[in-house]
Amino acid sequence: MRDAYIIGAGQTLFGAMPDESYRSLFTQAFETAKNSVPAGIDNEDVDEAVVGSLGVGGRQLGLSGPAVTEHAGLHGIPSSRIENACAASGYAVRQAVQAVKSGMADIAIGGGVELMTDLSADVTKYWLGVSGETEWERLTGTTFSGVYAQMASAYLNTYDATTEHLSMVAVKNHANGAQNPKAHLGFECSMADAANAPTVADPLTLYHCCPTSDGAAVAIVAGENVVAEYTDDPIRVAGVGAASERVGLFERDSYTAISSSETAAQQAYRQAGIGPEELDFAEVHDCFAIAELLAYEDLGLCGRGEAAHLLDNGVTDPDGDLPVNTSGGLKSKGHPIGATGAGQITEAFEQLSGEAGDRQVTEPRYGLTHNVGGSGGSAVVHVLEREVAR
Amino acid sequence: MSEAGIAGLGAYAPRLRIAAEEFEKAWGTFEAAGVDTKAVPEGDEDALTMGVEAAHRALSAAGTDGSQVSHLTFATTTPPIAEADLTARLASILGTPEDVQTQTVTGSTRAGAQALATALAAGPWDDGVGLVIVSDCPRGEPDSAIEHAAGAGAGALVVDDGAPGVVVETGSHVEPYPGTRFRQSGDDQTSGLGVTQYDRQAFTTALSGAVDSVGFTPDDVDAVALQSPDGKLPYRATGALGVDAETIAAGETVSTLGDTGAASVFLGAATAFEDGAERVMIAAYGSGAGATVAVVDGPVPVNCALAGDTDLTYPEYLRRRGEITSDEPEGGGAYVSVPSWQRTIPQRHRLVAGECPACGALNLPPGGACSGCNTTQEYKQVRLPGTGTVEAVTTIAQGGAPPEFVEQQSRSGPFVSAIVALDGPGARTVSVPTQVLDSEHDITVGTAVETTIRRIYTQEGVTRYGFKARVVG
Repeated sequence: MRDAYIIGAGQTLFGAMPDESYRSLFTQAFETAKNSVPAGIDNEDVDEAVVGSLGVGGRQLGLSGPAVTEHAGLHGIPSSRIENACAASGYAVRQAVQAVKSGMADIAIGGGVELMTDLSADVTKYWLGVSGETEWERLTGTTFSGVYAQMASAYLNTYDATTEHLSMVAVKNHANGAQNPKAHLGFECSMADAANAPTVADPLTLYHCCPTSDGAAVAIVAGENVVAEYTDDPIRVAGVGAASERVGLFERDSYTAISSSETAAQQAYRQAGIGPEELDFAEVHDCFAIAELLAYEDLGLCGRGEAAHLLDNGVTDPDGDLPVNTSGGLKSKGHPIGATGAGQITEAFEQLSGEAGDRQVTEPRYGLTHNVGGSGGSAVVHVLEREVAR
Repeated sequence: MSEAGIAGLGAYAPRLRIAAEEFEKAWGTFEAAGVDTKAVPEGDEDALTMGVEAAHRALSAAGTDGSQVSHLTFATTTPPIAEADLTARLASILGTPEDVQTQTVTGSTRAGAQALATALAAGPWDDGVGLVIVSDCPRGEPDSAIEHAAGAGAGALVVDDGAPGVVVETGSHVEPYPGTRFRQSGDDQTSGLGVTQYDRQAFTTALSGAVDSVGFTPDDVDAVALQSPDGKLPYRATGALGVDAETIAAGETVSTLGDTGAASVFLGAATAFEDGAERVMIAAYGSGAGATVAVVDGPVPVNCALAGDTDLTYPEYLRRRGEITSDEPEGGGAYVSVPSWQRTIPQRHRLVAGECPACGALNLPPGGACSGCNTTQEYKQVRLPGTGTVEAVTTIAQGGAPPEFVEQQSRSGPFVSAIVALDGPGARTVSVPTQVLDSEHDITVGTAVETTIRRIYTQEGVTRYGFKARVVG
């Protein structure tokens, strides 16, 4: 199969945007992505679109894929919506990569959009767990904060980590998000802020949980046959991995690891021909602080039970050996469900292109994105590589 | 053929308590004489769930189980729903045969005694036992004497031939006395006109009529379990019944549990037998008015769970009652349709798991490919005993609950949601998500729990009952 490249990627502000519709948000993201293509791109060049989204207005909506691409000026192309909970647009990008690699498309876009803040606070919670195992898990009164809190209870009971490490994730990602003009919660927080915030689901406090956001993001994927027409600084999709896991936490063999993440990462590394030690940065799915600790281990950034050591030693800080969530992550940049995965690709694209501004990692070659649906029912990992040596 | 009698008595009261002083602080007065504390149902308890608690205990006291029940009666003045047969759900939860005969008795606080009289006559019990479940949680207007007295509790009796509890006499009496205690259709609060002397007259006339109808003087009973709408009225009947106050006190629970309605006399009888009584008179009164009496020669085996362990303030009490709390927010709950809920009832009610014939793994819910070997199998049905161990746990704080659990949280505060490994045959376990009750206990990974039945939630007007866990011991 031929190689696929990210030639452009862009996202809207993540946050509460009462003036925007799900269609206008997607269009904005698409325009931003187009503007990031070094040699520019015309709408007519796009052969296919895959759009990640959980729903619109708190409910299912049919044909939301064609609805947004029509609005964005992509009338007529095959356009479909993909739903994989919070991993929707990570999977949308993967689908676009598949379309390009297979030869069915030369240019495909993978993106996503979510509008979450046009509902009352109570009803918004509908979103936070409805992707789960509704008949059993949800009916114990949990949303995903509760399910991840259960994972945290098992993790903290098994390994040498404390709630302080959860707060360290929040502090680090807020510090990163404060450097990101597109972040929803772009402010810094202290360890005391995180520890003393109201409890959402013990041991998780409000600062250990990501916000609900509006937003959209789009990645433009090109085949190796056409990539030179658009850029002389190609960012190659070096590896893609994806896997599923039992949807309900209670059905799994382990509560302290997400096997779908582990499998997806191994596939992506194998395809890319690298190991985690060659990564220069990673964008991981930190919907709740415990999820970032699990991600370190699932992605092989450290051994089982060693996530706290990475935090203690500053390894994942912006100036550490392996900066994680330079964008601010879901925690600070925000989490518009269907847009999150493509938003991670956007950060990776900007970092590898040297366009990450105050957040720029020094001359990265390999970056990883890690997008999880629900509490791990689906996961997708991309390894991107800047081919041109600086 | 031997006479039908009482083979076991079970009694249950919610663990939540409120003291009379809390009402005095709130209202400046407490209207329920002789009530020191009373039992308060938790937000997820009702007459059905309390009845299940008592039924399991009665069956256990009688040395039998739900599979032996051939006649099931549910008596209550406070059925959680006005129309729809709750005995089908009770039968399912208790695991009775599906050809069990069932009935519901309601309408007055005499319902339980009426149910007992019917069950005693329904034998012979050569192939199965009768189970009478009497459960009540009355309510009144917040400032009324009825509400101040209103407690909660359930009693249950197993009826069988040749049982240790011999019913030596029964009698009843009716005489029209409207207006003493009544509840209009569609209302959930009981009221009365409060015509003191008239109310007392109705009470004593009906009860003495019932005693007279069987022509005996209850002077040789150890205790009289007498209907107790408050702690004072029963003692007004000493003369009419020909017993002394001490005998009435030996069969009362109103001072600690409050007015337990139809369950009152059975909770009293269970307490008396537990305290060593050998002959107890049950004397039930229902407004309208009527009385039913029965004299039981024991001792009868009992299994009581009447201890309280958490004291409420008056505001907490109002929250539990739903007086000052919000309902489910509009338009937001995760939707589980009633038909899809109904398909899971064997699991919700009785923990029916599926054992994989290929690898032996337990699956709960038992559907789809086996969690152990990923192959599609015809599972063998296994009913789990309900004991287990917490594997992962969180307390869902205010703001962390999904919309359909906002009402529960509004009433009862933060709740514990966990994954519990339930014990199965051959040292195998199967993990299920469940709430764990009694959140003030320290519930951590490794805590031992057992299951019980509570309300999960109500949507579209339909209450879903299912298992929850509670800390053992």
